[in-house]
Amino acid sequence: MGKEEKKPKEKPTLSFDYFNETRLGVLALVVGVIIAIVPFSASLPAVVKGIGAMVVILWGADSVRKTAGHGLGTGVPSIGVLAVGFGLVGATTGMAIGSAAYDKVGPIGILGVLAGVALMAVVGYVTGVLANSDKFIGMKIPGLERGMAELAMAGTLAIILECSIVAGTWHLDDVIVSDNSISPVAFIAVIFIMVGFGMLQPLNSSMGADERRGRTLLMAIEIGGINCVILGVVTVMSLGVVQGALLIMLGAIVWVIFYRAYVKACLEESYEVVGTGLIKTLGG
Amino acid sequence: MPVISLFAWMLVIVSLAFIACMFEDLESDIGSQSNPNSQIQLAPEMGYIHRYFNKAISGEGLSYALACTISGTIALVLLLRLEPTSGPKAALLAIPVGAAAGSILYMIRASVCHVGREAGQKRFEQPIYLDVLYGHLVPIATHNFIVVICITTIAYIQSNLALLSGMEASAASVSNPFPLPLLCLIWGITVGAIGSSTGDIHYGAERAFQDKPFGEGRRVVYHGQICRYGDCGVRTSKDVVAFCAKFGGPATGLTFGLIVLFENWRTVIGMMLGGLSETELVNPDIAAGYGIGIGIAVGIVLIVLNTWLVKWTRKKYGPFVGE
Amino acid sequence: MDPITLLIILVCIIIGGMLGSLGVHLLPVGGAPAAMATATGIATGCVMLMTGSAMTGLFTASTVAAFWDSNPSVLLVSLSGGVGAMLMIGFSMFIANLLYIFGVGVVPVSGQVAVDPITKEPQTEYMTPRTSGHGVPSVAYYSGMVGGLTGGFGGALIYVILLSGEYAGFSAATAAIVALGIFIANAIMAAYNIGGTIEGFHDPKFKERIVTGLTCAFIVSLMCGILVLITIETGALGGVM
Repeated sequence: MGKEEKKPKEKPTLSFDYFNETRLGVLALVVGVIIAIVPFSASLPAVVKGIGAMVVILWGADSVRKTAGHGLGTGVPSIGVLAVGFGLVGATTGMAIGSAAYDKVGPIGILGVLAGVALMAVVGYVTGVLANSDKFIGMKIPGLERGMAELAMAGTLAIILECSIVAGTWHLDDVIVSDNSISPVAFIAVIFIMVGFGMLQPLNSSMGADERRGRTLLMAIEIGGINCVILGVVTVMSLGVVQGALLIMLGAIVWVIFYRAYVKACLEESYEVVGTGLIKTLGG
Repeated sequence: MPVISLFAWMLVIVSLAFIACMFEDLESDIGSQSNPNSQIQLAPEMGYIHRYFNKAISGEGLSYALACTISGTIALVLLLRLEPTSGPKAALLAIPVGAAAGSILYMIRASVCHVGREAGQKRFEQPIYLDVLYGHLVPIATHNFIVVICITTIAYIQSNLALLSGMEASAASVSNPFPLPLLCLIWGITVGAIGSSTGDIHYGAERAFQDKPFGEGRRVVYHGQICRYGDCGVRTSKDVVAFCAKFGGPATGLTFGLIVLFENWRTVIGMMLGGLSETELVNPDIAAGYGIGIGIAVGIVLIVLNTWLVKWTRKKYGPFVGE
Repeated sequence: MDPITLLIILVCIIIGGMLGSLGVHLLPVGGAPAAMATATGIATGCVMLMTGSAMTGLFTASTVAAFWDSNPSVLLVSLSGGVGAMLMIGFSMFIANLLYIFGVGVVPVSGQVAVDPITKEPQTEYMTPRTSGHGVPSVAYYSGMVGGLTGGFGGALIYVILLSGEYAGFSAATAAIVALGIFIANAIMAAYNIGGTIEGFHDPKFKERIVTGLTCAFIVSLMCGILVLITIETGALGGVM
């Protein structure tokens, strides 16, 4: 499994060509699901979950790119927010089902969390049909049904994974601590906004006639890195210094690499980079 | 006495809100965010190569929600760590540190979207001016810092209102029940939504097209043909701020200040009429009811004012003249 | 939990979602062109505007809901939220009009109707040619106030029904987050339905699209509501105050 996660991290500096939209989706789904359902007793370190969250965010950003590239009528960010909005509902449901099943039938009940992801896929698909069908909204965007289903799943998985980073597990007894001074649920606002940005900002900030998929997706991983740093700070508080520091280190390294890669790619691919100067068409 | 200090804290919140939203609008002008950004984006396509900063992080509501929520999160982490030992004094350290983290993150987001968008316009021969990139980042971060520190302080005051105004623990209901990051998210989205819906008009309809006739809406044919001359030489986004700080920014601040003022004022008045004392709120039904009543009254006054304003303008300005 | 309570929760979530959708349809949203005084309405995307106003409402609703120890009055809390959202929209539109009038020098005018259906003021001769109106004229202002009220009421209704100890009994933060998720999904579907811009109830688009919009809101809220019911039934969240 470790090898599988390494791949998308190393590839993008070259290109995302091997990971076309379908392959990336399948990979992210598999990685996300495996990390989400690893048993509580041997709970994975936050670093591994952080990588999982990055991959899932990358998938979400790719889905946003796929659907919003055709023009939505009201700005790119809306569809990313839709993904996390669905994600909040789906993650709550998934975590509740998983926790209840775990308490009743033991470790196998962990699979219950996937019910949330599956249900959300259905909701996302139906929403996509509503938006695309001529009988309803009639947006006529190719692949919107699949895109919305993917976005709803990516949003749900990302929020489950990130809750589990902060709380240690995604079991609701841990997520909603009843003496709630350090209740991880207090931090769900930051999870919401970071996941949302990871999905919506890459396309929104790279948009233009010469947008390129490989470049856009670099930013998704970059935001994944920042996400890990912020969650690492929270994790220092909730789970202890070791887990948090590792997560911060991972995030910082990923961020530096991909920030440089993205800015470099932009500068190289732009028309011209000049230090300063007037506008030539103004005669200056 | 505690009830009086409730009002005092409310006024502190209102003045912070005024400053926050004014600087929010000015900051969005530095980078041509949200609505006017569509013109900056369109300009190279129309042959108007420009030296504006293209800051398309996302809509203003979301990008401010990001900065404020990060700030609230960092502040809450520090508060949880420091409050057990040093008490409420911890806020003096936690809020500025949180706001600094939020605005640095915001600056990073702004830097990537300028290069990203300009690189996406290669075929229109739009170059990346490095002095534009570097020169705008610090003004963006500093303006953003003021917004974020104000919003975080507002959220802190609201979630600790009972403690700050000297209420007993049993009257904790005057504090807002939401955790600090969630309050920051709420006010961040709101401050961004207001900044984009009111403040952008002054920039988008007037400053970006200052060489076009005053007193008419921007016709579709003008779209993308932005004004590229500054007071002297070629205009950058920094020149926009000085113009909008005269009218657009303060007006936007006033909007948010008035909203926060009346939202809190009607709730506090309702609480007083509902029998708020140092220990408890006697009659919540009456408190909520009066709050709603005052709110509806303010709404009616607004409707009357706006109707009168539109009527007055129509009389004074008259029908459209010109072609 | 007994089926009647569950049904009430589901119905309230659906009503809340549909009111949120209706609110978006009623707001005068001009999108980016409105910031150039090229279109009538408020100059921002409707998702941000509706979410921003519902957030203001949600803040007041949460403060008001904390007046009661555990079982807040559903109607009063929802109304507080609605009035909060209405004030937010009202002040934004009013100051936006001041900016249009004194900053840009245009008369607020509707581009979709020739005569204001409420104040009977003629519109067409005040409009700049080759734009679709500018500013927030009186009729759009009334429409926006009603839109803010219904939208805020819907959002606060979902919140309070999830919060109240008599019904779902979530904690304040959880209730706010789930309510936010459902509300945002509905607002965005409504925004796609109107294609980004609308002037209010007098816009011909409103009559054309409102049935579709409410149907979509019904289906989306129903699905989200069922997920919330499943969550409540597991008992993992309920009763955690």
